[in-house]
Amino acid sequence: MMNTKTHSLENMPPQPQLEGHTTLPLGGESQLLLEHRALRRNAILLAMLALSSIAFLGMGSMVLSPLQVIQALLGQGSELNQFIIQHLRLERLLAAIFTGAAFSLAGCLMQTLARNRLATPGIIGIDNAAMAFAVSSIVSTGISLAPSAMALAGAATATALAFGLAGSSGTRGYRFIVAGIGIGAIAGALTQLMLSQVDIDTANAAYPWTVGSLSARSSSMVYALGIGLLISLIACLIWARRFALLPFSDQVITGLGEQIKKIRVAALSLSVLLTGLAVAVAGPVGLVALVGPELARAMSGYRGIPLIGSAIAGAFIMVVADLVGRTLLSPIELPVGIVTSIVGAPYLIWILVRRSPRN
Amino acid sequence: MIPWFNRIPAQRSLLSALVPAVLLLALSCFLSLLYGAGAVGPLEAFKALFNQGSADAYFVVSELRLPRTLVGLFVGISLGVAGALMQAVARNPLAEPGLLGVSAGSTFAVALALVLGASAATLTVSVAQIGALVGCFCVITAARMQGQNRDPIRLVLAGAALSSLLVALTSLLLLYDERAADEIRFWVTGSVAGRGLEQLYAVIPSMIIAALATLYVSRPLASLALGEKVAIGLGHNPGRIRLIVIVCVALLVGAAVAVAGPVAFIGLVVPFAARALVGPDIRRTLWLCLPIGPIVVINADTLSRLVAQPAEMPLGVLTAIVGAPVLLAIVRARRLPTL
Repeated sequence: MMNTKTHSLENMPPQPQLEGHTTLPLGGESQLLLEHRALRRNAILLAMLALSSIAFLGMGSMVLSPLQVIQALLGQGSELNQFIIQHLRLERLLAAIFTGAAFSLAGCLMQTLARNRLATPGIIGIDNAAMAFAVSSIVSTGISLAPSAMALAGAATATALAFGLAGSSGTRGYRFIVAGIGIGAIAGALTQLMLSQVDIDTANAAYPWTVGSLSARSSSMVYALGIGLLISLIACLIWARRFALLPFSDQVITGLGEQIKKIRVAALSLSVLLTGLAVAVAGPVGLVALVGPELARAMSGYRGIPLIGSAIAGAFIMVVADLVGRTLLSPIELPVGIVTSIVGAPYLIWILVRRSPRN
Repeated sequence: MIPWFNRIPAQRSLLSALVPAVLLLALSCFLSLLYGAGAVGPLEAFKALFNQGSADAYFVVSELRLPRTLVGLFVGISLGVAGALMQAVARNPLAEPGLLGVSAGSTFAVALALVLGASAATLTVSVAQIGALVGCFCVITAARMQGQNRDPIRLVLAGAALSSLLVALTSLLLLYDERAADEIRFWVTGSVAGRGLEQLYAVIPSMIIAALATLYVSRPLASLALGEKVAIGLGHNPGRIRLIVIVCVALLVGAAVAVAGPVAFIGLVVPFAARALVGPDIRRTLWLCLPIGPIVVINADTLSRLVAQPAEMPLGVLTAIVGAPVLLAIVRARRLPTL
């Protein structure tokens, strides 16, 4: 993982080289602290993501070889191939990468914040609330806000409600999570209610999106998500060192001279921002937020908080899941939310019923 | 003399809570016959009840609203009792067939049967019950695997995960087979609208079996609430009690799902209210669940007809909106009550 740390080079004795780390001068007084293990993990994950992306672009009703895919991406090869890759499949790939990365990063932040591996935005109802708000803006003409903005508002509302209802117990313990399950149930019911009020064509069009699908995305929302993701990634890089303190007790954080509240609010708002924007693109595919960080952790053993690793792992999972959904039962297209549920839910059950839970 | 509603729940006599509940149930049934989404108003319907109104009104009341009310009565009883049984056997106030994936299990089984070529009219009750049984076993096994350090909320999470898995598998099947999707679409949101009496007749045998089994098992179950060792000491076999209860829950939930589709949160709200009125003894709770379950379902159904006139709102939506706050209330209690 990359961390920035500022310290004055003249006044300090030369720092002992940390084992397994490299420091890169960034110009001026800044240095970049790179952990070898994290670098290796992220490189492997990136390679996996690249391979799956090429497969994603190549597979479909017309199968292209990896070479053809790369040629078409570079603007060579036949016109038809270029059209298929650049106009039809590339945007969907970007949507998959962005949503996967956003969900997974949001999940990792939320897990760290709540010190609980189960506390991901999907489980505590943020996904469903964002979806309910977004659907309300799609089905009704009265509200003229864009679905992205509504999804963000929904995500923020659900988070505020979950925290408010969990009361003094804060994010610790399961009370917070069950409050979230309740909120999610209400939001899901409201979504169904809105869909039952509109005419059947609108409801049918909205259906795949409510189970989580990349087929109904709109490009403006994908771009909005891309911008939000970029901002969040930069923020994560800058704040990574502070987020890494979250697993420690409040006293330790205060003792190290950091403001707990500030860190928590930053992590929570990033998480809400990412979830809201991602739901506006793909609907609730929340289980990616559970599995992505786990994959990133499994790649290098648990050490630190794999924020960047989670984002890449989430993108990888989403690309693979959508690829499977598109090709497994073709010509029927499985919504990606169904694929991730079938993979993610047994994993969640396994975490829950193991005899000695780690958290 | 302390009035009955000021006493601690366990001190109240069962009758003092049961009689008002039954009266309320009668009133709810009456209202559900009078009000509807159509053109027949309460006054006309009232006349029709005494054979004096127009032929139209008579038809609406006797052929449309009466079966619906009866179905609501049945669904309320089964889901309420199933919830109480399930909470007793999982010793967890949050155990609810809808939340824990039992309803999702029967939905999945029905979808599977439809995809394999069955028709919606004939097979559904027993198939739904088998699905419910499988879902029940999964969840109770998960609950027991947690062993000593079990946390009521972990079970709910596991159930939510099982539900989402089964719902995803159901959607998968339905995407695969459009005919099945078309047949199942009308009941998958949970509703008692348009159900006829013949569907009710089909589930009566399993209701009788479940009622007898519940009567037989309620006393051992009450002793199980005192702990496994106490139950063994009193001469009961905990494994067998659990098995009977699970089968009962599966019969009830499967039947209710076959008739009305998955209606969530009834099994949570009803035993919660019953316990608040007469205390935690399962024998008393079960009696009170009999009127309270239908009260909740029938009133929710009446409301769902009135809220979005002239269209209707799915019943499952309304019960979720009513039930989720109860879930929050249980969780917000300072100390989670264990059963």
